[in-house]
Amino acid sequence: MSQFEYVGKSVNRRDGVDKTTGRGLFTTDIFLPGMLFAKVLRSPHPHARIVSIDTSEAEKLPGVKAVMTHKNGPKNLFNAAVPMFLTIPQLERVLDQYLFDEIVRHVGDEVAAVAATSEAIAEKALGLIKVEYEILPAVFDALEAMKPEAPELHAGKGCTPEGRNIPAEIVKIPYNDVEKGLAESDVIVEQTFELPVQKQVQMETQAAVAQVDGNGDVTVWSTTQTPHPSRAILGQIFGIAASKIRVLAPPYVGGGFGVRIGLSGKAEPIAMGLALLAKRPVKLVYTRKEDFIASDTRHAAYVTVKLGAKKDGTFQALDMKGVFNTGAFCTFGAELPGVCGAMTLAIYRIPHQRYFGHSVYTNRTSAGAMRGFGNPQGNLAMEQVVDMMAEKLGMDPLELRRKNIMKAGDPWCLPYPCGTTELAECMRQGAESIGWERRGKLNEPGAVKLRGLGMAVGTHVSNAWPFCVDYDNAYVTIQPDGSAHVASGVPDIGTGTSTSLVQIAAETLGIGMDSISLTYGDTLGTPFDIGSHASRTCYAAGTAIKAAATDARKQLLEYAAGYFNIAPERLEIKGGVISPVAGSLDECSGSGLCQLEEVKEGKGNSVTVEELAYHAHVRNKQFIGVGRIVPENAPPWHACFAEVEVDTRTGQVRVVKLAAAHDVGRAINPMIVEGQIEGGAAQGIGYALSEEITYNDKGRQQQYSMHNYMLPTAEDMPEIHSIIVESHDPTGPFGAKGAGECSLVCPASAIANAVANATGYRFKQIPMTPERVFKALNS
Amino acid sequence: MPNQIISFRLNGEVVEMAVSPAEMLLDVLREKMHLTGTKRGCGKGECGACTIIFNGKAMNACLIPAMRAQGADIQTIEGVEGPGGLHPLQQSFIDKGAVQCGFCTPGMIMSAKALLDKNKSPSKEQIREAVGGNICRCTGYVKIEDAVEDAARQLRASAVKGGEL
Repeated sequence: MSQFEYVGKSVNRRDGVDKTTGRGLFTTDIFLPGMLFAKVLRSPHPHARIVSIDTSEAEKLPGVKAVMTHKNGPKNLFNAAVPMFLTIPQLERVLDQYLFDEIVRHVGDEVAAVAATSEAIAEKALGLIKVEYEILPAVFDALEAMKPEAPELHAGKGCTPEGRNIPAEIVKIPYNDVEKGLAESDVIVEQTFELPVQKQVQMETQAAVAQVDGNGDVTVWSTTQTPHPSRAILGQIFGIAASKIRVLAPPYVGGGFGVRIGLSGKAEPIAMGLALLAKRPVKLVYTRKEDFIASDTRHAAYVTVKLGAKKDGTFQALDMKGVFNTGAFCTFGAELPGVCGAMTLAIYRIPHQRYFGHSVYTNRTSAGAMRGFGNPQGNLAMEQVVDMMAEKLGMDPLELRRKNIMKAGDPWCLPYPCGTTELAECMRQGAESIGWERRGKLNEPGAVKLRGLGMAVGTHVSNAWPFCVDYDNAYVTIQPDGSAHVASGVPDIGTGTSTSLVQIAAETLGIGMDSISLTYGDTLGTPFDIGSHASRTCYAAGTAIKAAATDARKQLLEYAAGYFNIAPERLEIKGGVISPVAGSLDECSGSGLCQLEEVKEGKGNSVTVEELAYHAHVRNKQFIGVGRIVPENAPPWHACFAEVEVDTRTGQVRVVKLAAAHDVGRAINPMIVEGQIEGGAAQGIGYALSEEITYNDKGRQQQYSMHNYMLPTAEDMPEIHSIIVESHDPTGPFGAKGAGECSLVCPASAIANAVANATGYRFKQIPMTPERVFKALNS
Repeated sequence: MPNQIISFRLNGEVVEMAVSPAEMLLDVLREKMHLTGTKRGCGKGECGACTIIFNGKAMNACLIPAMRAQGADIQTIEGVEGPGGLHPLQQSFIDKGAVQCGFCTPGMIMSAKALLDKNKSPSKEQIREAVGGNICRCTGYVKIEDAVEDAARQLRASAVKGGEL
């Protein structure tokens, strides 16, 4: 039997009824009296200077209430993502955007915005704005953009000895002596891989509604994953005190996957800027096309892995390099290449390692955070090279990995310990589920449909430190009726935060979940929190809530102790009832539930929290717990196994089954964790096989709708076996580790290895579309 | 062209609305009637978030000219919950963990409901086909399929109880 009452249980989500009945409110649903609708004029050119812009005709159109361009917009440089506000002191912030600029740097870049009484009028007004452009030379490939003759995207930024257009720090991770390690290796495998632009395609597009009151105080309903940092970013863009701005989710957010760690595209500042001009509420909802071409994508990348091993398979050296195409703006310039390197280096115990990685500006849509945050790019390269190494050594890839994986307590390149890992057990269960012993025996000679098995392993983080500022706060207030109110600054972007965090609070307080309410995703009434990203919400915000609840519980028990006449440590709260822990009864006469005053008189030995809280209230006392924590970090682990079938006549790759085994520490809510694993698997299948944004020679995105950006549908999904292998990490709340992103780190790598196993051909570029596969197999 | 008054049955009640020929049914539902349970994910019939049941069929409201609603029988997510509580599909979506961000959920439930209204014993393939036009980016569809199967089971069980089978 579980030692816990609420933790570890697949309780139903608290937002379930709202979301299944259509009652749940999202930003795109908000409708305020007097509200205006905004539309944005976007650049048709990948790189150009706005020579002149004339908005006079647009302003004259009846119904138009405000127009904003680089001429009247705010002039403060910013970064649309959280590094604006969460860059660690060791790194320099990259500030490279204006709300509207004289230079446009990608197709879809903002030129002007209009607020009008209807969307149709705003749209019509855009057509009346006259813009004269001077076309500038453009560059789209990261390696091209580094050449001396490449156009400079941001004057004065990024000219380095290593190349042009490198906007942020180059991340260098040295770990012992990689040259020595390579010299000592018997076998060396080196390969470069090209990774595509993937898009988050969260279901609710970027959106914001801004309202300014008579005192200039601003309320912004927003799709952000990070209300508190977003408030700070808005304050700095407009030069307004953050305390005058409230950012909140209403409370639901239609997905995130990294696309709004900071601003939602530029929805918040555009809506806010227009609302300040018009003195009326303004709503801006991106069209799906705008969401595709004008909000952050995953980084395209070139990743090179050079792996050295001894004849017996012992890894000796790993030399890795990553070049990341950050597009027109650099939202996570050093953080993302850093995570790619660190997470890839952390998988195996390799005595000599080196990583060199950085971002490069190009005239593409800016790339930023997407679930996995650089890690899937690194994992695809590393895990394919491991398979290539296994082939060279004549070893089973599973055996080779087993021999080299990181063990708890092993030294590694990260500044926090590898505290727990059940990766070996994940590998065992995953291999069993997929039937690994069938590998190499799946195909009859001459078969046109080839089957293959592949695997990949990986890890990720449980919060953003040491790559980013990372701390959390929470309040737990015991109401006079004995119920509890929890306040946390994280939103629920769909990952179940508003349920799991309440499970943690209930377990800590000993009060039922039904007696706990949670305020979340609202800067008004919640203390600072860096938000929902980096697989951190349950782990880090959960730690803060546990601390606040522990504080409140302590206060309750201290108050009670005076009446029970025993030490507070000898009291406990279970199911909303305070009583002495077993074995303390002899010190307390009487029995049964009673009033607090009666306990003192020996007439009973337990009181409800309700009775205690009210007893305190009428004596002018309330119990308020505060949690202020700086989270540690801990590695979750994933072993992913794929079975594929490749149709050699069409080039079609079908995933037959995916077995994804995860060590997420303790699963606070296993049903929610499974959902994370399954969702990550689907996105990984898309990354491997179909999802990609390409550019034509005019610098235009060729995929900007769900029609031509090939997302997996229900009909594309294979059998997915999600396996949770629990460990108990001492740093997380009740042993939990991060669970949100690791699920997307390995599936594409496992599928790529399975395709190579099936066909004997290794793809150096994904996605493995039918066209690419057909060409490769028939050349 | 001027606005026209049309009348249709919405979630069991007859309603009248002035609509313009340029308007889509989704705009009328969301912007004029403030029935925001029907979501807009793309506006081009590609994501299924705006799925409603139109004369018994699951359809994307963003592709239906509002004028075509004249005389139609329309059900939106707001009309699925009965007086006795949640519809089995709604309850199963909650019980099976099929809800994450929730933005695709109304459309997903409407597509599934159009299927189960006609077929209470659908195969896995029929379920996948029914929700094949509904994009979900959170769940990988695993628990959504479970939920639809579970709801079908419950509907069959209650039909047996009610003597319908």
